[in-house]
Amino acid sequence: MSELIPIQLPLWQMPLLVLLPLALPAVMIAGLRRMVNRRRIPEEERDWSIPPLTDGDGKSLLHRWDVRCKILTILVYSFIIASLRHPEPAAVAVAASLLVLMIARVPLVKVLLRLLALAGFLGMLLVVMPFTVAMHPGDTLLVFGGVNWLGLNLRGLTLAATIAAKAVAIALLMEPLLSTAPLPVTLHGLSRLGVPEMTAQMVLLSYRYLHVFRHEARRMSSGMQLRGFEKRTNLATLHALANFLGMLFVRSFERTERVFDAMRARGYQGQFPAPAELRMHFTDVLISIIWISAGIALIVYDRIVLQG
Amino acid sequence: MHISDGVLPLSVTIGGYAAGAVLTAWSARRTRSQDLPKVAVVTAAFFVASLVHIPFGPTSAHLLLPGLAGALLGPVAFLAIGLGLLLQSLLFQFGGLTALGANSLMMGLPAMVCGWFFQTFKGRTSFRQAIVGGLSGAFGTILAAVILAVLLVTGGEDFFGVAKIALAAHVPVIIIEGIVSAFTIGFLFRVKPALLEPSFVKPVKSVHV
Repeated sequence: MSELIPIQLPLWQMPLLVLLPLALPAVMIAGLRRMVNRRRIPEEERDWSIPPLTDGDGKSLLHRWDVRCKILTILVYSFIIASLRHPEPAAVAVAASLLVLMIARVPLVKVLLRLLALAGFLGMLLVVMPFTVAMHPGDTLLVFGGVNWLGLNLRGLTLAATIAAKAVAIALLMEPLLSTAPLPVTLHGLSRLGVPEMTAQMVLLSYRYLHVFRHEARRMSSGMQLRGFEKRTNLATLHALANFLGMLFVRSFERTERVFDAMRARGYQGQFPAPAELRMHFTDVLISIIWISAGIALIVYDRIVLQG
Repeated sequence: MHISDGVLPLSVTIGGYAAGAVLTAWSARRTRSQDLPKVAVVTAAFFVASLVHIPFGPTSAHLLLPGLAGALLGPVAFLAIGLGLLLQSLLFQFGGLTALGANSLMMGLPAMVCGWFFQTFKGRTSFRQAIVGGLSGAFGTILAAVILAVLLVTGGEDFFGVAKIALAAHVPVIIIEGIVSAFTIGFLFRVKPALLEPSFVKPVKSVHV
C-alpha cells in the first residue's frame, strides 16, 4: 500500500470529478433511448412478422466485398481487437471502426441501437471497476476528503475504458458486417466457409419466427392489458406472466408443427435453394490482407511498442 | 447478463468457442436430424419469452429461462440456446461476437443440468412438477451466475469486484425465475403436458447418457 500514489482532493470536488462525468453519459443514453423509442412508435404499424431480409443494396466497397472474405476478416480482426491491452491502440481501433462505418454507409440508427444495447454492461464496468480493482504498487488513487476506503483507482478506470473502447470498436463493425449483404447471402457465405449448412437454415428460420412470435406476444399482452392487467411487484403479476409464457410456448410449439408440415408440403428436403453465386476476386483477398495487416499493426503497437 | 467483447482474455474466448462448438455438435447429434428446423422455430419462441420484462421494485429484470428451456427441450436445449445467443449477438449486440462461445457455455450448461434434474425428479403430480420446475429454474439461474462470475475472474484479480457485484445482482433474478418457472410448468402440466416430455430427442437405446 505504501507505494500507491494517493492524490488527496477536497470532498467538494467529488461531484465535479466523479459524479458529473458519470451522470452526463447516463443522461445522454437515457435521452437517446427515449428518442429511439419514440421513433419506433409510428414504425409499429409495420408488419414485424416480415423481417427485413433485403438490406444491403448499397454500392460501397463493403457491399461489393466477397461475403466469405468479409466474415473471415472481420471475425479474425475482432479477436485481435479483443486481445488489445492498452487504451491507446483501443482508441485507434474505435477510430478505425468509425472509418469503416463511413466507408460502408450503413444506416446510423441501427448502429446507435447496438451501442445502446452495450451501454448497460459497459456502464456497470465503468462504475464498478475504478473502486474495486486490486491495488498495485504505482497505482494512482484519487481520495476525496480523506475518505480513504473509497479511493478511485485510475488504473481501474483506464482498464474499464479500454474494455469499453474494444467492445465499441467491435460493435461498430457489426453493421458493416451484416447489413452490407442480405442475411441469406451472409449465411450462405458462412456455410461455404465450412459451417454446417443446417446452421444457416436454423438461423434464417429462427430469425423469421422471432418476428412472428414477437408479434404474437404483443397481441397477447394487449389482450391482457384490455382485461385490466397491470405489472406490479407481486405474486399475482408473476403468476399472470408465467401463464403468459406458458401460453406463448403452447401456441408456438403448435405453430412449429404446422410450419414444418407446410415446409414439407412445399417439398422441403433439408435444403434451401442457394441465394446467390459467390465469386472471389483478387481484390477481395487484397482487402482482407490489408485489413488483417492493420489489425496486426495494432497488436504490435499494443504488445511491443507500449510494453517496451 | 451477457459478457461483451473485450472483457475476457483471448485464451478464454477461444476455449469458450471450442467447448461451445463441441457441446453444440453433441446436442445436434442428440436431435433427430429432421427435427432441426423445428428446433429453430422453438428457439424463436424462447427468444421472445426472454424479452419479457418482469417488474421488480423500481427496475425490471428479464428472464434467463435456463430451467424452462432445459425442461422443455432436454439435451437439445444447448443447441437452441447457442442459436438464440448467436441471433442475439448478431442482431441486438447483447453479448459480443468474440464472447459468444463463453456466453453459450454460461447459459447452455445450466439448461442441460436443469433439463436432467427436471426429467429425473419431476414425478407425476402437478404440484410436484411445479416445485421441481421452480427449483430447476432457480438452480439454473444460480449456476449461470456462478459461471458468469468464474468467467469474469479469469480476467485476473482486477475483476473480482465486478464478479461479486454480478453475483449479487442475480439474487432477485433467481427468486423471480424460480417462481415464474414453477407457475409456467404448472400451467403447461394443466394445458399441454406433452410439452414437458423432451420432444426432439433421439431415442437412446442401450447407453444412458
